[in-house]
Amino acid sequence: MSVPQDLFYAKTHEWVALEDGVATVGISDFAQSQLSDLTFVELPEVGTAFEAGDEAAVVESVKAAADVYAPVGGEVIAVNEALEDAPELINNDPFGKGWIFKIKVNDESEVDDMMDADSYEELCPED
Amino acid sequence: MMKAWSVSFSAPVPYQEGLDIQRRLLKARQDNLIPDTVLILQHTPTVTLGNRGRANYLLKTEEEYRELGIDLFHAERGGDVTFHGPGQWVLYPVLYLGGNEADSHGYLFNLEETAIRTLGDYGVDGFRREGKSGAWTDAGKIAAIGFRLKKWVSFHGMSFNVSNDLMGFSTIVPCGLVGEPVASLKTILGEECPEMPLVRDSLLNHFSSVCNRELERFEAEGDLPAELAALIKG
Repeated sequence: MSVPQDLFYAKTHEWVALEDGVATVGISDFAQSQLSDLTFVELPEVGTAFEAGDEAAVVESVKAAADVYAPVGGEVIAVNEALEDAPELINNDPFGKGWIFKIKVNDESEVDDMMDADSYEELCPED
Repeated sequence: MMKAWSVSFSAPVPYQEGLDIQRRLLKARQDNLIPDTVLILQHTPTVTLGNRGRANYLLKTEEEYRELGIDLFHAERGGDVTFHGPGQWVLYPVLYLGGNEADSHGYLFNLEETAIRTLGDYGVDGFRREGKSGAWTDAGKIAAIGFRLKKWVSFHGMSFNVSNDLMGFSTIVPCGLVGEPVASLKTILGEECPEMPLVRDSLLNHFSSVCNRELERFEAEGDLPAELAALIKG
């Protein structure tokens, strides 16, 4: 199970990469593996304002649907439209091409409430 | 084994009522007020579409369903269209799947395994089919699966056909699979079909061992812990 060191993690298995006040958000390798092959991603609309913890997207496999939460508050400034035709990008490259949306962050200190890679790894099952 | 609760209902539950109970349990589980809890019940006749369920898999109009006494619901679960009715057990596990007690086999595998082992109790050979979820027999599909995770707590789940009237399935294209038959223990075993309570116990026993949860079992109509009674009765 891959857990990159340079990201922040939420208890609900999202990751955040923070750069110049913009948070790129996706779901972790653990999360994608629990859901198996994704068949659909319901993306938020650009311009939507979220608070930390709001439901922002839905990822679906053949038999499961799971909510994805905004780990930090702010306005959605971009969504990964490639996922509309290729939701499997999340399975194949969860921390890269499988990013889901980008948020212009209101308060960067909100990432302090998230976990680092080591703490997150403890939350995930050993296999 | 993690401790968990199960609640069984003897009389068929309308779909909306079952959904309301699940939503209350879901919230309480997310807030860590209750342990993992499994509902096992039968529904009154209902057709449900999954999140991406396509209405062209419904073979009747809304009015015709009403005339047949079948409720129609769009459910927020994964999976496609299915039918529920008396004589079919529905298992609704409300489980936290986001922590380190999650099984690396995955939850879908575990639900299928629960159905397959239950079939084995009655001498029926159950199996998985590549690319098609659920549990299958030589006579057709017998268990259907579709669930939703919110904050990594599951709701919705699996239905398992015991002695239900399969006529309801003829009003839909089950799971969107054209030309695939639906089976029940009754169609396979005939007179030898076990009674509903026996199959309920089989499902709970196998769920317990497959999902590694020690079940404290309650009946909805019986004595319940106060916090559980409030969630069940609303």
